[in-house]
Amino acid sequence: MKKALLTLSALLISSAAAQTNLSGTVTIWSWDVAAKALQSTVPGFNKKHPNVKVEVVDLGNQNVYDRGLAGCAAGGADMPDVYSIENGEAEVFWARFPDCFVDLNTLGANKIVNQFPAFKWTELTANGKRFAMPWDSGPVVMFYRRDLYQQAGINPNDIKTWDDYIAAGKKMNAKFGGNVKMGTIANGQDDEWFRMLANQNGCFYFDNAASQVTVARPGCVTALGTIKKLYDAKVVATGDWGGQITSFKAGKAASAMFGAWYEGTIRTNAPDQKGKWGVYLMPASRPGGPRASNLGGSALAIPSASKNKEAAFAFLQHALGSADGQVTMLKSQGLVPSLLSATRDPYVAQGQSYWANQKVWQTILGTLGDVPPSRGTQYFQDARQVMVVVQADYIKGKYKTAKEALDDAAKKISSATGLPIAK
Amino acid sequence: MTTTARSTTSPPVATPPRRKRPPLAPYLFILPYLLIFATFWAWPIVSSFLMSFKDSRLGAAAPYGLSNWSRLVQDEFFRTALRNTLVILVIQVPLMLSLATVLAVALNSKLLKAAGLFRFAFFAPLVVGTVAYSAVFRLLFNTDFGIVNRALTGLGLPAVDWLNQSGPAMSVLILAMTWRWTGYNAIILLAGLQGISEDVYEAAAIDGATPAQQFWKITLPLLRPTLLFCLVLSVIGTLQLFTEPALITNSGPGNSTMTLGTYLYQQGFRSFNFGYASAIAYTVAAIAAIFSVLQLRLFGREQ
Repeated sequence: MKKALLTLSALLISSAAAQTNLSGTVTIWSWDVAAKALQSTVPGFNKKHPNVKVEVVDLGNQNVYDRGLAGCAAGGADMPDVYSIENGEAEVFWARFPDCFVDLNTLGANKIVNQFPAFKWTELTANGKRFAMPWDSGPVVMFYRRDLYQQAGINPNDIKTWDDYIAAGKKMNAKFGGNVKMGTIANGQDDEWFRMLANQNGCFYFDNAASQVTVARPGCVTALGTIKKLYDAKVVATGDWGGQITSFKAGKAASAMFGAWYEGTIRTNAPDQKGKWGVYLMPASRPGGPRASNLGGSALAIPSASKNKEAAFAFLQHALGSADGQVTMLKSQGLVPSLLSATRDPYVAQGQSYWANQKVWQTILGTLGDVPPSRGTQYFQDARQVMVVVQADYIKGKYKTAKEALDDAAKKISSATGLPIAK
Repeated sequence: MTTTARSTTSPPVATPPRRKRPPLAPYLFILPYLLIFATFWAWPIVSSFLMSFKDSRLGAAAPYGLSNWSRLVQDEFFRTALRNTLVILVIQVPLMLSLATVLAVALNSKLLKAAGLFRFAFFAPLVVGTVAYSAVFRLLFNTDFGIVNRALTGLGLPAVDWLNQSGPAMSVLILAMTWRWTGYNAIILLAGLQGISEDVYEAAAIDGATPAQQFWKITLPLLRPTLLFCLVLSVIGTLQLFTEPALITNSGPGNSTMTLGTYLYQQGFRSFNFGYASAIAYTVAAIAAIFSVLQLRLFGREQ
């Protein structure tokens, strides 16, 4: 034991010494905004490691996924040194290709676990291995139009529960004759609202051990029931991703609920609405209940085939593991850091001009600690496909109760995945 | 020349010919092709068949209890995809081929000025990139901002939530595919029409056949082989239908416009369940083969 400790400390010392003289090239595959954000952290990284050349390659989201898959299937051929991966899609990689990525614990990741909220690690760890480091996250908030709320006589501070939200929506309908809705929900195209609300209520398709289908549990029943209530009260409209953007651009939606990365979507799509928007916490399912949830987010992994693992990990530690790196990305592209210490950065406490000088990042990041953990598992896409259909059928009135709808969903997910339904 | 010479000079009683080894050279020349064919064509076909018996998701979590084939039999989503595909097949293909026939006859008319321009115009949709045309259709049928609903409300008709309701979403798909493929089939049929001899029509005209009679009694029967060709191609194409439902309706709302093609993609490349995707692919291929044989039997006789 003592000997092991000695060798371990020797290793640590030698790796600490090696850190200063790291060299070589680190190639990174990423996409769009995320690639730009990573690029913005390179100058800061090079101050610490001047001999490491970082090359960020923007392949586009789908390409990164496809080529990563092909690379892993080919035993790691042609993989970069750092690989961007979406949390929701991550587990397929760990399940199908457990040897394709480095267990970051072997590089020292176990020492930085507590610097991130626990829920960010759930999809990135499998069989005790830590395959990727948390990057941005998607804490859910409600974005709203200050002017429209005001005209309808709604005070966003009074909206604390979903019932309050529905009551406000009725005011909105009365004021604008139904031409302005409180929000736009994807129905039949996606189940984002279900996932956000289910996560808020501590429920998801699967349990966190990925061993049971839990979609018929009470938290999920509440979530689906709330969506039906919103539809029945006629306070929301239907629209997919593009439809949601067109409605807020046209002023037909008074609010939008999404992961905080939607901040950039609103800001860049409706620059003329500057100063009209604000942010408040998602309404709770019961008075005093949790008002936090997560939708989306990405991570960085190091392929086993990388020849420059130490330098790659050093980059991860700078870009994702330091407040400096994370805040640089927040400033440049609005990527919401999941690093807890970044939440204490002075920039987060500043008012943002687009949001009428509201300190939106403080509000958004403040919810991070309250997000219940949930796991996509390698069956995420199967489950999602089932839920999209069941939600649409339930809204249409095919099932009598939300419980009945979700029992059916659980049955279908179980038959597609082979996982048992939780009692 | 040499062969005739040899046959005349060869002795009447042949000595038993020395069995010559088949020359090796030609096979060596086609060997690279054969290797490529075996590696990139034959082997994947065999391999995906083998794969359809395996659970390719086996790994960390619980395995799927049943084989892919028994799942296929019970799978509600597969039935939905099959049903949707057949609905499109039954509505869209006859609609498109009748339109294409009428169009081909019109394009073949001697009364038509600037025929080349029209032929190009109707063929043009095929040149447009699928992604671009899908995006345009999405815009046209947007509920709040699309020109179709603008036109409807302008005429005093109610707006339709095209892409968020199953029936309307399906009709948008059928419309889009008809727009894209009618001209293509019309051009093939036009080639068929031009293969029909003028003499037949002249003779018919002398016998006093009306243009309508000429169309039903001469044009259609003589066009049958070409129509059959278009039909078989369209049926196979529809069974593999992927682009339009994937890009215009995203298989939705719900799964109401999901086709065999999009379900296969979803299982193979979203869920990474290649075993199950292979089983679906083989089923699609089998259905396509059955349909083709049926059509050849039903419409291909008495030529």
